[in-house]
Amino acid sequence: MAKHPVTLTVNGDEHDLLIEPRKTLLAVLRDTIGLTGTKEGCSTGDCGACTVIVDGKAVTSCMVLGVTASGKEITTIEGLASDGELHPVQQAFIDTGGYQCGFCTPGFIMASKALIDENPDRTEEEFRHALGGNICRCTGYTKILEAVLQAAEEIRTTVK
Amino acid sequence: MSEYSVVGQKVARVDAVEKVTGAAQYGADVHPPGMLYGKIVRSKHAHANIRSIDTSEAEKLPGVRAIITQDDVPSGRRVFATDKVLYLGEPLAAVAATDPDTAEEAAELINIDYEVLPVVQDVMESIKPSAPRLHSDDTKDGPSRREITGQIRQLSRDKENDHSDEISKLEAELEKYTDEVYYNISAESHSEAGDVEKGFAESDVVVEDTYVIPRVHQTYMEPHVSVASADSSGKVTVWASTQGPFAIRSGIAGTLGIPLTQINVIGTTMGGGFGGRFGVIITHVPAVLLSQKTGRPVRVQMTREEEFIDGRPAPGCVIKLKTGAAKDGRILARQALAFWDSGSVSGASIGSTIRVRGVYKIPNLKVDAYGVHTNKSGTAAYRAPGAPQAIFAGESQLDEIAERIGMDPVEFRLMNMREEGDEVPAGGSEPKVGYKETLEAVADAAGWWDREAGENQGWGVAVGDWTNGCGPGGVYVSVHEDGSARIFHGSMDITGTDTAITQIIAEILTVPYESVTIRRGDTDSAPYSTGSGGSVVTFTMGNTAKLAAEDAHQRILELASERLNTNVENLELKEGAVHVVSAEPPKSISLGELAAYSLSTTGGPIVGKGSFARQPSTPALAAQIAKVEVDPETGRTRVLKLIASQDVGFAINPMAVEGQIEGGTVQGYAWAMMEEMQYNENGNVNPGFVDYRVPTSADLPTVESVIVEVPAPNGPYGAKGVGEPPITPTLATMANAVKDAIGIRINELPIKPEKVVDALKSNGHGA
Repeated sequence: MAKHPVTLTVNGDEHDLLIEPRKTLLAVLRDTIGLTGTKEGCSTGDCGACTVIVDGKAVTSCMVLGVTASGKEITTIEGLASDGELHPVQQAFIDTGGYQCGFCTPGFIMASKALIDENPDRTEEEFRHALGGNICRCTGYTKILEAVLQAAEEIRTTVK
Repeated sequence: MSEYSVVGQKVARVDAVEKVTGAAQYGADVHPPGMLYGKIVRSKHAHANIRSIDTSEAEKLPGVRAIITQDDVPSGRRVFATDKVLYLGEPLAAVAATDPDTAEEAAELINIDYEVLPVVQDVMESIKPSAPRLHSDDTKDGPSRREITGQIRQLSRDKENDHSDEISKLEAELEKYTDEVYYNISAESHSEAGDVEKGFAESDVVVEDTYVIPRVHQTYMEPHVSVASADSSGKVTVWASTQGPFAIRSGIAGTLGIPLTQINVIGTTMGGGFGGRFGVIITHVPAVLLSQKTGRPVRVQMTREEEFIDGRPAPGCVIKLKTGAAKDGRILARQALAFWDSGSVSGASIGSTIRVRGVYKIPNLKVDAYGVHTNKSGTAAYRAPGAPQAIFAGESQLDEIAERIGMDPVEFRLMNMREEGDEVPAGGSEPKVGYKETLEAVADAAGWWDREAGENQGWGVAVGDWTNGCGPGGVYVSVHEDGSARIFHGSMDITGTDTAITQIIAEILTVPYESVTIRRGDTDSAPYSTGSGGSVVTFTMGNTAKLAAEDAHQRILELASERLNTNVENLELKEGAVHVVSAEPPKSISLGELAAYSLSTTGGPIVGKGSFARQPSTPALAAQIAKVEVDPETGRTRVLKLIASQDVGFAINPMAVEGQIEGGTVQGYAWAMMEEMQYNENGNVNPGFVDYRVPTSADLPTVESVIVEVPAPNGPYGAKGVGEPPITPTLATMANAVKDAIGIRINELPIKPEKVVDALKSNGHGA
């Protein structure tokens, strides 16, 4: 299959790549660039494990073709911590025990970050619904919500 | 103030940073150079004879490196189906290619000629003589026939006396039970205590009902995956996403006839297991075969769809249950007849039917259970295998009895619960378990005693019991010159167990939690370890870790005794240093100094070893209360409150223990209300998250957990295994709450909105 030239900006780094048009953004991130922190849980856009942030919006990267992400700013779980400091959302997942097996965690953290960036003032109920596209099988969600609320609170107070 | 400084404390897990930064290496993240992609070729029919498998077209596809069938399995052990397939998705061949898309394309090009056969998916149909047969030698007598044929067999054995008259009478009696021959039976299990007929006769209230529990998938978020690399010397390395690397090693050795020492299994970070991640054939064996054939590393990774059609989910079952009680509330007798949907092979947890007994004094109990073949994949463990199903039946029926007697459901359970010293059916006497404490704790936390319910609202309670397993394990701990300690072992972390082991060792060495690190070895390097399932790890590896730390502690005191010129009896290890007891001025030496000193001693470095296999475990109880509101128009049930208590013995890391309780409870909720693998004559029809809905955060409110600690005599610091118990009562908790809300009992799970609407309609409610 003919390959297409694309330029992806991932976690601030530019990657000039030749990719087959059928490859998903998830496959490009994991197999071509080698960023395996983003997980594949269903390949049908239903579990959220592959969530990354594209131009500020959380997307399921298994539902996006790599070629269509050309020229866009992509942030993955590997790009969240800066200068050796964990992002408040990452720290909150640790503090509250918001992860268990950890497989859904990169997706949950990216989805939560995008939601908090958009509006940190959501109520627990609003976050519960907004995170409905991500599946966790271990935690029962109680501690994930604690993490998200803790991170939202911290980000809110830092910004103000 | 706790008497301990590290165990019993809420600590961040040892794997925290790697899990939140994407650094943790799961199975599919392993990518050795030159790796090929494997794909399993699967049956497109649920029951069919195979006339031929033609791989010639696929072989021509550029990029295909190997195609294997059962002919390529030198040991002859069944890996792929040959002449007959028994379920949709059953493996027939496997392909290795240079990229995943080519492997998939090649799999499609393999031409299989099927002769389609009739299909049976319902257990109650499968046991009938008219059902299609999956295997040939699988007819069994039902309980009544079985009893009589047993008597005939016994009489026939007595060669000294003539019993021909009695035998012919019994044979005539057998005629009455012609419909009690079951077909397609994979296994059976029977047990009896007391005399149930007598018990029912003495009962004032007898309730009998049939409970139907669906097959559900463990739905760990990481699909099965294996990367295998066979080198030219015959050495095989397997990166496996598994709960038990040592079990996978012996499984591969046994299936493929490879010597144990030629196989190294590297357990990768596990993306959930819940009992379903012990299978050897599913991905590991095909990956090894493909790597042996190509001489290249090969990854075999299941898609989510493959997980649903060829995973090993939890068996569904049909349980006919009968309970009798006296009007004062005493349960007098209980009898169960269960048919477990085992799928195409045996293996359903039919022995768990005995859990209809619960934690109650039931003097007369009879249980007959059968595993039944259907055209589905085989089954495996799922969190307390078999218990949620049996306990759903048992605890649902208890509420019916309580209602008829006019007793409060909690009071009724408290009255019948076994107590310390009571005789237990398996022999011996009941240990101290917090049965009543746990139920009372959840009732208090939920406000049960002054509960209020608005219109269409209801409350449900149920309890479930489970006992953690136990198994062999080994741990080493080394103390280094900087005073830090390093643990080495071979057990897979199952969401927090490495942390518990680390806490235990830090506690005994009296050092900060942060100065102890833990490493897991592969099967080539680490001491043997039991699989991480059956709630064994904290119990087994916790005890093992304790022994290792105590061994190191002993060596530390010996070294200190040399350095401080005093007997070991005068020494005490605390806060990371050895002190001479009541020395004035104080005299001590730090662990780091001792570790440095040890390097030039005859006895050598500080290395503690712990090795352990078993000690009797103590049962644990989970008790839960739900408050729900049912919308009579839509049939939708909304959970208003879900509270879960559990006797955990001792919570080594309370945050992790709460996480287990919350997660298990939500899985139980999902089994009760949402999840069901559906089948028709074509096989599984809902192999994805759109049609097989699992709960998201939008489906539930916060689950509240209540920790109860009644120490287990042999657990480390009194800890019990905590992973499995919380799923056991939730199915009944939910069903009991819905019954309380709508006045109608639904015995067939899941309680989907349409079932509620139908139930209300047939009861004269609604339009």
